[in-house]
Amino acid sequence: MVSVPELPVALAKPARRMRPGRALLPRAAVPWLLIGPSLVLAILVIGYPFFEIVWLSLHDVSPFGIVRGFAGVANYARSLQDPVFLEATFRTFEWTVAVVGGTVVISLPVALVLNVDFHGRGIARVLVMLPWSISLAMAAIVWLWAFNGEFGMVNAILQQIGLIGQPVPWMARASTAFPVEIGVGILVSIPFTVTIFLGGLASIPGEVYEAARIDGAGLFAQFRWMTLPLLRPFVTIAVVLNMIYVFNSFPIIWVMTQGGPDNSTHILVTYLYMLAFRLGEPGLAAAVSVLMLAMILAATMVYLRIEEQSAA
Amino acid sequence: MQRRSIRRSVVCWLVLLPLIALVLFPFALMLSTAFKSASEVLQYPPRWIPAHIDWGTFGAMWQAAGFGTAVLNSLAISTLATALALTVSVPAAYALARLPFAAAPAYRRFLLVTQMLSPVLLVLGLFRMAAAVPFGDGTLVNTRLVVIVIYAAFNIAFAVWMLAAYFAAIPRDLEEAAWIDGCTKFRGAITVFLPLAIPAIAVTAIVTFVNEWNEFTVALTMLRSPEKQTITLRVVNLVAGRYTVDWNQVMAAALVATGPVALLFAWLQRYLVGGLTLGAVK
Repeated sequence: MVSVPELPVALAKPARRMRPGRALLPRAAVPWLLIGPSLVLAILVIGYPFFEIVWLSLHDVSPFGIVRGFAGVANYARSLQDPVFLEATFRTFEWTVAVVGGTVVISLPVALVLNVDFHGRGIARVLVMLPWSISLAMAAIVWLWAFNGEFGMVNAILQQIGLIGQPVPWMARASTAFPVEIGVGILVSIPFTVTIFLGGLASIPGEVYEAARIDGAGLFAQFRWMTLPLLRPFVTIAVVLNMIYVFNSFPIIWVMTQGGPDNSTHILVTYLYMLAFRLGEPGLAAAVSVLMLAMILAATMVYLRIEEQSAA
Repeated sequence: MQRRSIRRSVVCWLVLLPLIALVLFPFALMLSTAFKSASEVLQYPPRWIPAHIDWGTFGAMWQAAGFGTAVLNSLAISTLATALALTVSVPAAYALARLPFAAAPAYRRFLLVTQMLSPVLLVLGLFRMAAAVPFGDGTLVNTRLVVIVIYAAFNIAFAVWMLAAYFAAIPRDLEEAAWIDGCTKFRGAITVFLPLAIPAIAVTAIVTFVNEWNEFTVALTMLRSPEKQTITLRVVNLVAGRYTVDWNQVMAAALVATGPVALLFAWLQRYLVGGLTLGAVK
């Protein structure tokens, strides 16, 4: 696959040198022309705001966004001393670990089952994938209504089966609201993760299992010693991508509790939004953005390094 | 054999049942609540089947959410953003799939970084960027245009990954035959490759469209006046910061806004498994 396309390129180079007038475009420029528009758009819309934020984080900015002067690391120092920031950082860690962990633990058996040939598998796949089509904000609203403390369906069901004596005001305190938010986070992350695992399972050739069966490997042994190791790169991808998405996930918590009551369910993204657009602290918000970026880069790198070492 | 297959099917469905119940629960709740009258919504314990079906909720919701305008906004923003994203992503994916060039790994890494810089991390920078660009008699803040451009930019990585994975699977023999017949590379790409790539482009377009249709953070930040807001944002605004919420209207709006997209996705999902994972692994 790789050597085939190199051939015409190699042939073309001397030809171009002999007849320089014929070549409208140097061959090396063609890929750049093709990726160029996407690069320009991404650098403009993603690169510029990034540098703007780094620059803002080093300046003293008024609530109306007017830059009043260079501030050095003052914004960073302030955010690191802010108890809400520190709590939100810890809660973001809990949130990411719980949602990503829960998602992977549930998605793996679901993908294994969906990979088995059974009656109605097509319908089952569609149903499992369904939450993917719903906006996170919309899912959060429906679950907010389901967990409503006065008229909610969840309370009614739990009361009916006798798990609770009287209605629970789920969203009124962090000790119940945050676990509910984690649950919604897991539910909406499952489809994407199952999709990745199904792709991984499809890439394992059937002969491998046949050989194992002939050698007398049971179902569990097949799973433990064959499926799991072969699926490992896909688990890594699922963890890394989910880590990035969940760490940055804003709508669920914003819609369900807005970080409240009393800042007790903030994760970093909701706290960042609050600082930038509700509390008039652009400098502080920019510093939090940069710190978050450092955290997610570091976490991704550490995880990939651990994976590399344990795989070797 | 047949018998075992039935037993196996029952076991599989039983394992999946709790998850499927949780998946269907929100849809059931939307349906149930949307057809209740305002007074029945405020009864405890709630019943799944409304005492009497109230169709009026949908009309009231249509007014309260400005539903027609909001859907048109969502349609226009998502369609144009998808078009823009694909216009820049299709050539890039073609380059990745067909022309090996030295910068390809660096370009792939760049795309991954753009995924890490999510809109919400950059939201303050995006807002200031929009506020710095004069447009009409104001700035780009509170325009649908800036939302379109931002959506397109943040969907490039995903679109390029998915398209490149599909493109790599399109056999190159036909193009090579066209070159031998004297066709230029460019004409070969347009007349031979592009028709073969249309299904892949269509699938990517639909997924991108759904992503944009469902987006919340950028819309919340940029679109200030109600007549410019998307449907997702309007529905959230029926709930956020209000003392009394008409839950039957909210659920009716959520049902109408999510139903068509859910059906589209259900029909599409079999195409997703292959393309996505190939793109993610490479």
